[in-house]
Order: sequence, then C-alpha cells, then structure tokens
Amino acid sequence: MTEALADFTLHRPESLESLAILRRAVPEARLIAGGTDLLPNLRRGLVDAPALIDLTALPDFAEIEPLAQGALRLGAGLRLADLARAPELAGPRQAVAEAARGVAGPAHRNAATLGGNLCQDTRCLYYNQSDWWRAANGYCLKYRGDTCHVAPQGKRCRAAFASDLAAPLIALGAEVALAGPVGERRLPLADLYRDDGADHLALAPGEVLIAVHLPPFAGLSAYEKARQRRAIDFPIAGVGAALARVTGGWRLSLAVTGTDSRPVAIAGIDDALDLPLSDDMLARIDKAVQKQVTPMRSTMISSHYRRLAASALARRLAQRLAEQARDAR
Amino acid sequence: MNAPARTATRAAGTRTPLVDGIEKVTGRARFTADLAGDAAVARILRSPVAHGVIRRIDTTAAEALPGVLAVVTGADCAHPFGVLPIAMNEYPMARDRVRYRGEPVAAVAAVDAATAARALKAIELQIDPLPAYFTATEARAPDAVLLHDDKPGNVEREVHHVFGDPDAGLAEADLVRTATFTCAEINHAQMEPHAAVAEWVPGREELIFHSVTQVPFYTHKHLARCLEMDPAKIRLVKPFVGGGFGSRTETLNFEIIAGLLARRTGGRVALVLSREETLISHRGRPETEVTLALGMRADGRLTACKAEVVMRGGAYAGYGIVTILYAGALLHGLYDLPNIRYDGYRVYANLPPCGAMRGHGTVDVRHAFETLVDRMAHELDLDPFTVRRANLLEAPLFTPNGLMVNSYGLPDCLDRVEAASGWKERRGKLGPGRGLGMACSHYVSGAAKPVHWTGEPHAVVALRLDFDGAVTALTGAPEIGQGSSTMVAISVADTLGIDVGRVRVVCGDSATVPKDNGAYSSRITFMVGNAAIGAARNLRTELAQAAAAKLEADPADIDCAGEVFSVRGSAQSQLTWAEVVAAALAVDGPITVKGSFTTPEKAQGGGHRGGAVGSTMGFSYAAQVVEATVDVDLGRITVDRVWVALDCGFAINPLAVEGQIEGSVWMGMGQALMEETRYAEGLPLHASLLEYRVPTIADSPPIEVHIVESVDPLGPFGAKEAGEGALSGFPPALAAAVADAIGLDMDALPLSPDRVLEALVAKRRAAQRAKRREDA
Repeated sequence: MTEALADFTLHRPESLESLAILRRAVPEARLIAGGTDLLPNLRRGLVDAPALIDLTALPDFAEIEPLAQGALRLGAGLRLADLARAPELAGPRQAVAEAARGVAGPAHRNAATLGGNLCQDTRCLYYNQSDWWRAANGYCLKYRGDTCHVAPQGKRCRAAFASDLAAPLIALGAEVALAGPVGERRLPLADLYRDDGADHLALAPGEVLIAVHLPPFAGLSAYEKARQRRAIDFPIAGVGAALARVTGGWRLSLAVTGTDSRPVAIAGIDDALDLPLSDDMLARIDKAVQKQVTPMRSTMISSHYRRLAASALARRLAQRLAEQARDAR
Repeated sequence: MNAPARTATRAAGTRTPLVDGIEKVTGRARFTADLAGDAAVARILRSPVAHGVIRRIDTTAAEALPGVLAVVTGADCAHPFGVLPIAMNEYPMARDRVRYRGEPVAAVAAVDAATAARALKAIELQIDPLPAYFTATEARAPDAVLLHDDKPGNVEREVHHVFGDPDAGLAEADLVRTATFTCAEINHAQMEPHAAVAEWVPGREELIFHSVTQVPFYTHKHLARCLEMDPAKIRLVKPFVGGGFGSRTETLNFEIIAGLLARRTGGRVALVLSREETLISHRGRPETEVTLALGMRADGRLTACKAEVVMRGGAYAGYGIVTILYAGALLHGLYDLPNIRYDGYRVYANLPPCGAMRGHGTVDVRHAFETLVDRMAHELDLDPFTVRRANLLEAPLFTPNGLMVNSYGLPDCLDRVEAASGWKERRGKLGPGRGLGMACSHYVSGAAKPVHWTGEPHAVVALRLDFDGAVTALTGAPEIGQGSSTMVAISVADTLGIDVGRVRVVCGDSATVPKDNGAYSSRITFMVGNAAIGAARNLRTELAQAAAAKLEADPADIDCAGEVFSVRGSAQSQLTWAEVVAAALAVDGPITVKGSFTTPEKAQGGGHRGGAVGSTMGFSYAAQVVEATVDVDLGRITVDRVWVALDCGFAINPLAVEGQIEGSVWMGMGQALMEETRYAEGLPLHASLLEYRVPTIADSPPIEVHIVESVDPLGPFGAKEAGEGALSGFPPALAAAVADAIGLDMDALPLSPDRVLEALVAKRRAAQRAKRREDA
C-alpha cells in the first residue's frame, strides 16, 4: 500500500461521560469501531483526522438486550458477524441477520459494527478514488471540489448510501439511540438520514449512535440485495421488507438502500393488504419503488438498472413474504 | 477429477503437490514487497492529463525537502523500451508528451512514505492538453491528432491475411451469418500488486534487482539498455511471484524507474505499487470488436470465415502487434477451415497500454466464432456437438497459415464433456431459465519463434550433481505459481529414475541460472520440459557409465528405477544411488550437464508477413459445457456447473494440470460474467478490486475436469500446454447456455446483469411491436 496512513492520536474512552469530554476537547476527532469504512478512506485522503476515538470500550456497546414485550436493543458495537448468527434475529426479524450476512466478506464482518454500518460514508465512483485520481478530476462536490460529476447541473452531492442493514431495520421500524452532549435521545432510524450525499447523517455535533431499538414484531421479514458478485459487493440496490398482521389485513413495509443518498422508506402502500397479493397490487409495489428511488450515475452499473433491480426485488420479496404468511396460517 | 489412470509408478504422470507450495501456504515465501526492509520508499508522479505536451517539470522544491533522496524525470532516460524490438516507443517516464492518464512523469525516493508523498506534491508539472481519444473509432477519425507521429490514422498495425478462397467458400454455404461482437477490456487482476526492490552497490557500480516479473531476461536486457549499463553488472532476481497471467510478460515502466532511483540514491529503493497503480500499469486484454461472417452447409460443415477485428490497444505498442496477429492466426488450428480472411486493426488510444493476457489474442475472437457457430447450429436445427464434429482436423497436418499440428485430442474432449454433462439426455429439459451451452478452444504451447531472436536454443536447463547426492536443476524458467519448477523436478526425476524430492530446482536468479525467455505463451512445459529431460539424459549417461564400470556391464544395459541401478535382465547386480554418485564423482569431481531445446524450423510458421505469430510446437485442445440459470427479473446469471476436457498431450503433473484448467475456466468466467475496465475521460473508474469485479469463491461453480492425452510426438513425455487452452471456450459456452435458457442472443461481453436486463427489455419491446403490427 503506497498510500500511507497519516499519523493520528488514538483515544479509547470507557464511558459515555469520558467520550463526551473527549469530543468537546477534540471536536475534529473521528469515531472508529471496526474501521472497515474509515481506514480505507483515511488512506485515500478522504478524511482528515488528527485523532480517532475508538468506541469499542464503551459499556454495553456490543450487547443484545431483550426489552419488555419483545422489543430488542442492539448495541452499536455489535459485529456484523454477531448479528448474522444472533438467535434473537433468527425469527421474525431475520431480515437483519440476512442483511448482516450479505455485507462484504467474512473478514469485514468480523470487524465491522452495526453502528459503523449505519453511519458509513456515502459512496460514489468519483469519490472513492485515490487522491491522485480525484485531483486529476478536479475533486468533487462531496469533498474539496465544487462540481458533482454525477449530476453536474445539480447543487448537491448524489453519492449513494449503501448500508445493507439500514433497509431491513427501517422496514422493521427501528429507532436509534443517540448519545450527545446533552444526554440521550431516540430517533426513528429513517430520520437519521438526509437526502444529501455530502451530509447524509442528521447527527447533532458531538452525537454518537450507541444502540438500535427494534419494536416488538411478530410478522415476517426478509432482505435481498442486487449485486454482481455473491460476496464483497455493496448493494446495487437492497430491499428490506416486513409483513405483519394489522387490523383488517396485512401491513407491508419496504425500504430500499443503495440507490439514493439515504435509505428510502417506500410510501403509499396500503396499510391493510389482502393476501394473497393481487397482480395489481404487485404492479403497484413495483411502480411505487420505481417512482420513489432516484439512483444516479454513482456506480459502475447503470442507474436505470438499479431502479429496475430495486423494484424487482421489492416485488419478489413482497410476494415471497405473502406466500410465507399464507403457508404459516 | 478425471485424471488418466497410470500403470507404472513413475514421477511423470503422478499427482504431485507443487514443490514450492509449503513455503506459500505457511507464509514463509517472501515476495518482492516483503524484501523492502529498510529500503528508501519510492513513488511515481503520474500524469493527470490524458494527452498533452509537457511544458515544464520543476523538481527543485521536491529535491529540497528534507528526507528526499532522489528525484528522477523523463530527462533521466532517453532510451525507449518495449517488448518487441520493432515497436519500442515507450519511455519509463514521459519525455515530451503524455499519452494516458496515469503515465509516469517523475518519481521520487525518500526516507519514508509520507515524505515521498509530500515530494510528489512539490513537483511542479505543466502540461498543455491535446485532444484525447478513448475509443478506437475516435482515434481512427480522419482529423484525429496522432499519438505517435509514425503511425498514420493512429493504427499501430493493420493485418490482412487471406487463405483459401473465402468468397467462394461463403458462396458454397447453405447459411451465411454475420454478427458483430464487442468484448470489454479486461485486466489480469493478479493477486500480487507490482513491486520492485532495486539495490545499487556503490563502489562496484552494480545493480541487484528484485522484481515481480514473468520475464527476468527481458527486464535484465531493458534495465541494461535504459540505464546504459553492462548487463554483467546487473543481477536480476525473481523472488516468489503472486501470479502473472501476462501482466508482467514485458518489462514495465516501474521497473526501469526503480533502477534509475536506486542508482541515483546509491542505495536500496523499494517501489511497491498500489492496486490502482497496478491496474493503471495494465497490459490487459484490449477492448475488441469482432465482425464475423461464417458460412455453413446444412450438415454443419463450415465453408468460410471472414473476420474483422479492431482492438483498442492503449497509448503504447507493448505486445500490440503480436496480439492483433494472434487474433487472426488462431482462427486456424482448431477446425478444418481452409477459407479464412482476416483483417485486423490495432489502434492507439489515450488509455493505459494493453498487452498480453492469458489466452493472448484469441479469446475475444474465439468467443465471437463459437457464439456465431452456436446460433447457426440452432438455425439449421443441428446439435452444437454435431457441428463441431463435422469440422474436425486430422493430425498430423499444417494449417493453411502454416501452423504445425501433430496431435489433436479435440474429438475425445467432445466425447468426454458430452457424456459427463448428460448433454443428450438433459438439454432442453432443465426447466425455465436454465440452459446448457458448449464451445471449443485451443492454445499454443509456446511461441515457436521468440520475440527476441538470438539464434540461441529456446530453453536451456543445467543440472548439478555433487557429493550430497542431490540433483540441482538450474533453470531460468520463472516460477510464478503455475508450477514450472515442479514440472522441471518431475521431468528430471522421471528421466533419472529418482524421487522428485531429490531434485532441487533453482530458478529466477541471473547469477546462477541459465537465461530463459520467460513465463509466457505457455512455452515452459514444452520447451523447458524438453530441455530438462535432455539435461537429465546427459546426467543419466554419466551415471550409467559409472554404474556400468562397477557392475562390469555395458552402459547401454544400465537401468535406474526407484533410485536403484541395475543391469537389465539381472536381479543380482544392483547399486544404490549413493554408490553410483560416489563412483561418478570419482571420475572428474562434481558433475554439471545441460540440456537444451530448439524448435524445428518447420514449426516456426508460414512465410507470410507476421506468420511467426501463432506458430508453435503443438496446440492444446479443449471442449466445455456450461450449465447456467438466468434470473430474468435481475438479469443475473448463475453458473451452476462446468464440465471441461483439455487435451494437454500428457499430464506430467495431473494435479497442476487440473488446477490450471480450473483456473482457465474461472478466469474465462470472470470475463464472461462481470470483469471490465471503465474509464471517465481516461481516468480508470475500475481501479480497485471492489470496482474491478473478479468473481469470488462464492460465485464459483463446481468444475468437473477431464484430462485428455493425445501424446504429442514432440512434447516432453508427450505433453503440451495446459494453462490457457480452456479459457477462451468459457465465454461462448456461457453465451450459448444463456441462449439455450431464455432464448436471448447477446453480442457483448461481459454478460453483466445490466446488459442482460437491457437486452431482455429490448427483446420484450421488439416482441410487443411485432405483435402490434400483426394485430394491426
């Protein structure tokens, strides 16, 4: 590796209080847990960080905690490999384990964490390149430049958010616990994200994601991603789906990742669906996804393909879950 | 696996783990980058501009930085280099003009990586841009600026070869079809990135040079040339190498740069390239457009072929002339097809230079050929196997373009994969979205005429025998993971009748081993294998004389098997290896012998211009069947299973042959399914192993390997090449399987999900339009 890692100071706080003190003292420090996202970006000169704060010594950071009435708290420091095999995620919430299993390769999953996956940087062909490359291209809107090479007329960065886990967690109604200078707050996971590839996390200064809360859930869920290879690749499009009984029918929740600068919770699907899903309903799902995702030329594969793949996956997942629900009855 | 059954317990033909495998799997093997130690850190400044005139390079500020040991630029080397003596047009660092983004313009050596990085930033570079061309069409436009003043139209080489009467052949055909296939540029993506460690020995004014090269001899020559050194003052060492596939089959700019920096610093310099830089160094398979016309009779007999091939070769010559010649030459030699017209155009463009890559020159053309044959078979309602069988050669023969074919195991290959895949019973009955496809391929066993014609033998192996009783084989053949050292050990052991473990193979150090042309064109088994056998025979003669003297027998009657010497026909008179070695050494001390191999003149190709390319001692032949499933919602292809048979003449090491065949299939699968380079105005978008998609083990199908042995009359133990022949059959076999599965004909490679889905959408729309017209 000829792209040398610059020198930095590493801090490893053992409590939220000392973390808060550190963040005030070293506001330019970056947070690190597994490092699978940050370290390559550091080497490529995408991050300027004189200090790193290692979160892995925080209390309960890597715990799975069952809460009242079947709710679940997932510590942000849980490794993706832990999530992939957690018995708590083997049943109705298996979409989360499926998504964890689908991330990168085994070595990445042994290091990468839940919090890091949800807070990962957005990605773009014009951004995830070496400094020489970006300099030769005049840099870009996301970092050090003023043009978005994906959408040059646009005023904002179109880098795509590629967390696999975000999609099923949003479909399952997850909330995130954020610890900040003024204490802890809870936020629907979907609201953690902004539609701006250069500034996609709605975290207040000094805030850190410490856990994910999953509400009680007794339905069915699944995650599937489109990618070229069966391992390593980020989602070209990833769809998380959850199907649960509600008064008067079934409620289907869909969220798409990999296509936009934030995960897209698909709106406009009826709250109380009849099973089996009619062809008409499936066509509506397909159309809703195609309409609501806006992939751009930020990956090697065409944006048109990503849109079609997202809708095809959504349609198939909806049908599969509906069939499973019917079989289970 | 389906290795041939063996009767005798001989070294040749026995499944033998690679002799350098233990070091690799235990991590003890030291690769070039591992040798850096405390060497100065070197880095290259690369052009940000695709095409332009260098107005100024100012290195003053960089040189003044504390910790900077040396800065070099194009001004420090006025000698172009290049693998072909007739086409050397590349400088280690650009001198007046840059011709692709990423071309080296300067380089630094510093005490550490951070200082080297700062030094690069401190170099002032001013380039006036020229129009840049990223496609062959743009580069060939009439008003295009020339990349090289001596190459009008930006065409590096045009080839026009006509054999037989293609027009008459097409006129005789019952079916003539023409199609144009576009195959994306791909890269070797070998595991080990490029690296060189160069040490200048002050006082002696010598250079000790370690590199990842497949061609230590060429690199040695080019270092001497570019550094204006006596080659005797250079020692070229090739440590363990992590794969080549052609990426290092020619001297590369970073190697010369490392040498220049070492001399300038007067010490050790390590130049370790990043993956991005390794991909920019490129030398991969060019983007190729193949327009093909084939004529076929109703019984499947091929009557004629016309092929026009345009390759986008990148900014410099490299192997380009050879590649464009191979593409035409290897239209011959697989089938009985006397009427062939070939028009090839190798075009310059402002992109990293292409070069040799596994299956050099033939893969994209073979893809087009086999795919069109498959479509025409379908149209004529013929089984694809029937069509191949209607066009078989009968060895021995010379092809119309003068290629020598002495052995031809293709018929057996066809039988084997047809039976193993259950082709007859299963095809058409696999259910929706699933299909079977097949294709054939072949490849040379070494170029019969090397690019550096010296008049010397093609290969020389030396053997040493000393008091310890070990046989040391000295060979310049670069072991790059392909198993060449093991092949040498087996060939020597088998010929002498001793254990493979008694043979110690030393390769890749110019201080000790005889020169070898290198690891390319699948030449080593055939050429170095024969040389090794020759050397071992010479040693055997000396040992037989010593044994005969002790046993009072005729040397001609002495046998050695299992390290025991005996007189043929007599059970009593036996001597151990140690006894015979002692007796032999008593004659005149430690023994050194050598063996050599030279290709006969008749193997060196036709007399036409460019006729040497494609010429070889023998071809490997392969047939394969691919079973695939297509997900029509996502356009995604899953390769379910592969059956492949390769005629390698004789499997000296069946274990290594199986590995090579699996690797060929797998590499063909990468090209067929997903691998491609992509540039944004000449900047490589693919320059990482995340974006350059090599299949993972999770994508790998079960591969059933069958080894066919036609026993070539000139090959070592009858062997031919085994490392490339099966590659070019995979992409067309997959395309045929997709056509069989969903009735979709694709004209582009790779068959990536977006291409498949787009083709499906287009096909559905066309069907709808047709239906509407019908309804109206």
